[in-house]
This record gives sequence, structure tokens and C-alpha cells, in this order.
Amino acid sequence: MKKQVNFRDIARLTDEPLIKLEVEDLIELPVEEPPMEPPKEKWLESYDFSLDGHSPFDRLKPKTQEEKERLVFGFMSGLEKLFNREANWTFLKIFKLSMDYCVKCQTCSEACHTYVASGRQEIYRPTYRSEILRKLYKRYFTPSGKLLKSFVGADVEVNYKTVWRLLELAYRCNVCRRCALYCPVGVDNALIAREIRKIFSQELGIAPVELLRKGSRQHLAKGSSTGMTPAACKATIEFLEEDIEERTGRKIKFPIDKKGADILLIQNAGEFLAWPDNPAAFAILFDAAGINYTLSSEMCGYDAVNYGVWFDDIEATRVGLKHLTIAKELGVKKIVVGECGHAHKAMCVLLDRVLPGDFALPLLPRESCLPLFWDIVKSGRVKLDPNRNNFPTVLHDSCNVVRLMGIVKPQRNVLKAICAQPYREMNPHGPMNYCCGGGSGFAIMNSLNFPQFRKKVTERMKVKQILEAFKDVLDPSIDKMVVAPCSNCKGALRDALAHYGLWENHRILYSGLVELIVNAMVDIPPFLKWEWEE
Amino acid sequence: MSGLQWFMVLFGWFSLVVFVVGAAYKAIKFSTMPLNLRWEVYPVPHEEAEKRHYGGSYMEEMDWAKKPLPSSLAGEIVEMGSEIFFLKRVRQYNPYNLWPFSLAMHWGIYLLFGWVFLLVIGAILKVDALSQITGIVGIVSFVLGAFGCLTLMIKRATNSELKLYTEPVEYFNLLLLLAIFVTGIISWLMDPSFAGSRDYVGGAIFFSPTPVPSVVLLNFLLFGIFLIYMPFSKYLHYLAKYFNFHQSLWDDAFKQKGSPKDLKNIEQVGYTLHWAGPHASPDETWLENAQKLLLEEKEEKK
Repeated sequence: MKKQVNFRDIARLTDEPLIKLEVEDLIELPVEEPPMEPPKEKWLESYDFSLDGHSPFDRLKPKTQEEKERLVFGFMSGLEKLFNREANWTFLKIFKLSMDYCVKCQTCSEACHTYVASGRQEIYRPTYRSEILRKLYKRYFTPSGKLLKSFVGADVEVNYKTVWRLLELAYRCNVCRRCALYCPVGVDNALIAREIRKIFSQELGIAPVELLRKGSRQHLAKGSSTGMTPAACKATIEFLEEDIEERTGRKIKFPIDKKGADILLIQNAGEFLAWPDNPAAFAILFDAAGINYTLSSEMCGYDAVNYGVWFDDIEATRVGLKHLTIAKELGVKKIVVGECGHAHKAMCVLLDRVLPGDFALPLLPRESCLPLFWDIVKSGRVKLDPNRNNFPTVLHDSCNVVRLMGIVKPQRNVLKAICAQPYREMNPHGPMNYCCGGGSGFAIMNSLNFPQFRKKVTERMKVKQILEAFKDVLDPSIDKMVVAPCSNCKGALRDALAHYGLWENHRILYSGLVELIVNAMVDIPPFLKWEWEE
Repeated sequence: MSGLQWFMVLFGWFSLVVFVVGAAYKAIKFSTMPLNLRWEVYPVPHEEAEKRHYGGSYMEEMDWAKKPLPSSLAGEIVEMGSEIFFLKRVRQYNPYNLWPFSLAMHWGIYLLFGWVFLLVIGAILKVDALSQITGIVGIVSFVLGAFGCLTLMIKRATNSELKLYTEPVEYFNLLLLLAIFVTGIISWLMDPSFAGSRDYVGGAIFFSPTPVPSVVLLNFLLFGIFLIYMPFSKYLHYLAKYFNFHQSLWDDAFKQKGSPKDLKNIEQVGYTLHWAGPHASPDETWLENAQKLLLEEKEEKK
């Protein structure tokens, strides 16, 4: 049952979660689903579940008062730095204005898929976590808060529990920024969630292990956040070449480290491991279209991800600098980003004002693969038969590509050209789409029982949309495809379709876009595999 | 002439000066903050009309970095206008049905400034024809504003979800506005021609105060307090809104090498990092930190 929560509850010195999530409180789905499981008994002693009974942090609870105080001190020090023009030049203006001028009209609430899907639990409202941060900042850092206290809302106390629950709250937002579209003042509550993540990562080194230690740190140390080294990357590519030859009869050599190529194609390395058909399809299509491109085998150059985009400006800058330096050294005319949403935004948008001079976009252009797909399809350079894709499809819009970059039409034009049946739109779609539920790192965060939160709450709205889009063809005798040109979105879809039995019971599968283009190529056998792969 | 009347003349000017200087100070402060990273959200209203309609951008094209950036002032004006005058997003999305009440309050404020402006023009030009329109603008402002403020206060106090987020200072802000509108209504009831208000404004402009009813003085005292308080309170959200939309949500312009933005960028990557995480060197610059891909991991703070 939905529980009343107020702001002071965040500081409650108890391990009791502020709310308990129950399936019956969540928005209804017309499918049977597994029940909500409480955290394992053996975890309770070691880990903190005091926000909502879930956590992505397999970090031991502090045992001593001194450890707790160190965490609180670090948090307060980081909070102060968010308002420092040198320490936070990257987002100070947007952050400060969002902190100071929210008029608390709650117009943003219904924009949030997590808040709505949770049955409108107060703690997931976009303004709840912002308000906690605002109250803490006012109380400890502003004269009005120190003087007027609760009159201006400076009424939340900082202690270990406040800090921990706020950290957890920062990871209950997908940073999809749909709420920013709703706000009449232009306040960005998703940005505030990301700024809270920055306090913990940049000041204390605390972030979900998949994002920092096994994410950006591993990316920089080994060459890929997947742990794939340059040698392993080359071996994987050789395997893909053999696989392509076996399936299509074509002997295609992936161009690697080719100096002066027109394009450096950078893909999410997760594709090579989880969905190898995606990089294989890129190779087949680009070969057929005569694209002069190259891949990189340099450290980081074969993995487009930039996890810092989700939680840490320092790491985002490092990975970005590495990517762009590789492109400069190869002397390519431009970078084209594969089907990875956050890498699109990092490369084409965020890095624009991080790295100066020769890295300016007109000197080193970075573009999405989607307009290039449309250019290839419409040019007729590759012969395509839409009847090869004669099944219902629905398009999922990646937030990073669509809402945050405005790339809406090319993927739709491609689908219209390569599918026998009109593709379906989700409701809503385009810039108003809902996040897949895997955004801002959620798709890869698998520690403790966080996956349950993701499946039950953040991915819930997407499942609802998919079922509605296919409501007239749910019969399992009809194969159906959710097209998602983004690696993290595919990760979330794989998770959600399995959890809710949509493949098993309704034959709903998911795929990137390039696989469907290659599936329509008339001079090779059908490329899509209608089978579930873990 | 009484001391109170002189006080009100000087207070009127003082409040105007504080308002102008305060708002200008804030605007300068906002505009001199560091250049933030690009953080746009689509639809962006200065895109070309077709793209604006479905939320598209120049990044849908190939080789966009070699083409001129789209720039439709009309698109921005229409979008901003629909937000300022019709509170478009509140109407479309607010789940608490705040729109009619908020719209009434906002129009109450717009017309309040219109009323004062007409009083000033009337006092300077001494045009009788203006008095009728001034009267209509005044009473419409006061009635709409009072209705809006009162209903918003009731909404915030009675809806448990809104109440949670409404701090005493927010009620104070609404109450101050309500007091201005209510004293305005009372002064209209006492004199529908607003002759007293016109006399006060004329006296203030020409530094020749004349006796006016107490309620008129109270009305202008509250309005003066509102002007003084505005730049330093959440009332200033209209200015923040300009910066939020124009320098964040709609700012999709990429920079050219050597441009002012690029030079600013060069300056900013030279700032000291300050952050003390195990993967950061706090005393070095952002650029130095970016170039150090693999810092020795400091012992993680427990």
C-alpha cells in the first residue's frame, strides 16, 4: 500500500525502508509476473536497503561512527563543490538555477515513468530527491536557511542515513530528462539526480561497481568496459568474419586501423559480446554500400561507451578525450557512432564543450549512424526487399538519440522502406517517449537485488507500451519485433521481455535497426534469427 | 504634507531602483556563470518548422557540422509567448489542475504592471482618456490576481501532495501578492476611477505628494515591498526561466575553433579540479586530469 512519506523521514536512523514496494501497488500489466521478493536475509546484516528495500551497492555498511562521519563529511564537502564555479563549471548554471527556482507546481510528476509505474510512490517523484538536496544545501550553506530554518524549508538534518538514502535516490532516476520537457520553468530534476551522483563519485569514489570500477576505470585500463582487450577485440572480429562467411557466403574483412578512412565507426563493445549480429550487420551493410570506413583496435577505440556521462564528469572527459584522440591519429574525416544512445550523446553533444580547439565538431565531425543508414537505403546502393521483414514491428526511441539529440526521422524512414508492414509507434513516442528503464546505467547494474527494481518499476512502462502497440497481434503464432537502435535499451528489453514472458508467451523479440536492414538484403540469406539468446 | 506621504514617495522610488538594480544584478550574475556543457532537449523551437513540429534536429542530416545552424526567432517567440501568456506546460501536464488558478494569478501580475504603467503614463501625459482603460485594467488585475492567489493557497494547503512541498515562505509569497490585489480591490470599491492611485503616482513622479486614502498608500506600500523582494526571491523565476531555456534546454549550437565559446572552454578546462575522489587529482586542472587516463587509485575512502 502506498505509504505517506515526508522529507524528514529520509534522516530516520533505522534500517527500516521508507517504503515497501508491492506488485499490487504498481501500474497494472495484462501479464502474469513473478512476485516481489524481499532482500535476502544474509544481505541485511552487511548492506543498506533502507530506502525502498533495494540497492545496487554491494558496499558494506559502515560499522563505526567514524566511518559514518567520514561519509557525511565527504558528502557535505562534495555538495559545496557542486556550487563552486571551478569544480562544477560543466553544469553549474543549470544546476544552480534548477536548485533555486523550482516553483513546486509538480507539473513534472506525471512525466516520470518510474514515479507513475511505481503507483506514484512519493520518493520517486522527480522533485522529491531534488527537494532533499535543496533542503540540505539551504540548511547548511545559505544564510537564509541558517536564519529562517523551516520557514524556507531548511528542515532536513544530515546524518549517515540521509546521505545513504540520497545516494540510493540518485539511482532511482534514469536521467531520461522527460521531466525537463514538462517543466514550465525549465528546471531539470534529472540533472539534479546526476549531480548527486557526481558528489559521490567525484568526491568519494562511490558509484555502482558496474559504472565506475568495472565500468569507466576498466574501460581506461583494459580498453573496454566489458574487459575486452585489444587482442580479444581482434579475435572477436575474426570470429565474426568467419560467422558472416558461413551465414552469407561473403568474405568480408573488417577494416581495422585504416588511416585516412572516411569514417571511424565506434560501436558499443557490448554488442560484440552480447549481440554480435549487430556489428556483423554493420560490416555487411557497409561493405555492400561501399563505405570507406575503419574500426579502431586501440585501447578504448573499439568501445564507444562513456559511462561517465551517467555519473562523473571527470571520467566522461577522460574517455571522450581518448576517443577523439584516436580519431585524430587515424586521420579519419568523421566519427560515426554505432547503435548506442549514450555514446551518441557523449560524442556528438556533450564533448562539444568539454574539449577545445582541434576537437571542435566542424574539425572532427561526430555523427549518428542513423542518417547514414537512411542515406544508404534511399540511395538504392543496396538492393532491399521489404517482404523479408514481413512481421509487425514497433520502434522504441532511445532517449539519448531522440529526446536529447532530436534524431527522430531517419530511423522511421528506414523502417518504412525496409518493412512490408507499416511499423508501429509506441504511445507516446518521439521526444515524448518513455525510457526503456535501463537508462543511465540501470541496464548493466546487476548487484544485489537492483535488477528486481529495474524489472518491476523502471522497465514497467515500456512493457506496457509494447503490449499496447502489439495488442491486436499478441497471438504467439505471429512473430513480432521491437526495434531498438541502442545497446543499453536492448539490454533493458532483453531483461523485461524475459521477466514478463513476452517472448515465451507472445513471441515478441527485440533487435537493433541494422540487423533488419541486412535482413532485407536480397542477395544474402535472411539474417534475423528468431530465437531467444541470453 | 505629511511625513508619511513623503515617505511613500521616496519609498516608491527606492523600491523601483532596488527592483531594477537587483534584477539586473541577478541577470548579470546568471549570464557570467561558466559556459555549461550542451544539455539541450528536443523539440528545440528555433529549428526549422518541420523539424520543430516533430522534435527533430539538424543532427538528422549527414555532414551537419559543415552546414549553418538553424535559427528561427519566430519559433522561439511563439514558444516563449505560449509559455508566458498561456502557461502552456502547466495546462498540458499539471496533474493537480493548477492551470486556471495559476493563469489567473500570472495575468493578475501582468495586468498589475500594466495598470501601474498606465497610471504613470496618465500622470505624465495627463490624458483623461486613459483613465477608463486604467480602471478596467486595474480591477481585472486585482480580481484575477486575488482569485488566483487565494485558490492556489487553498490548493496547496488542502492537497496533501502539494502541501508536502509548500514551505511557509511559499505561502508568504502568495499572501503578499494577495494583499496587493485585495487592497487594490478595496481602493477600487472606494473609488472606481482610481483617482487616489493616480494622485499617488503623479505625486511620486513629480515629487509633490498629495493626500490620498490610506488604502491606496497601503496598496502601493505592498507593491513596493513586492518590487524590493522580487529579485531576491523565487518570484524571479521568470528570469531563471529565460536562462534555463535559452542557455540550456534550447542551446544546441556547436562551437567553432577559436570562437568566444571555444576560448571560454579553453579557460574552463584550465580551472582547478578540486574534487578529491580516488580517481581524481584535486590540485591539477581539468585538462591535466583528463590527460591522465590511469591515475594511481588512491585508497578508497570507506
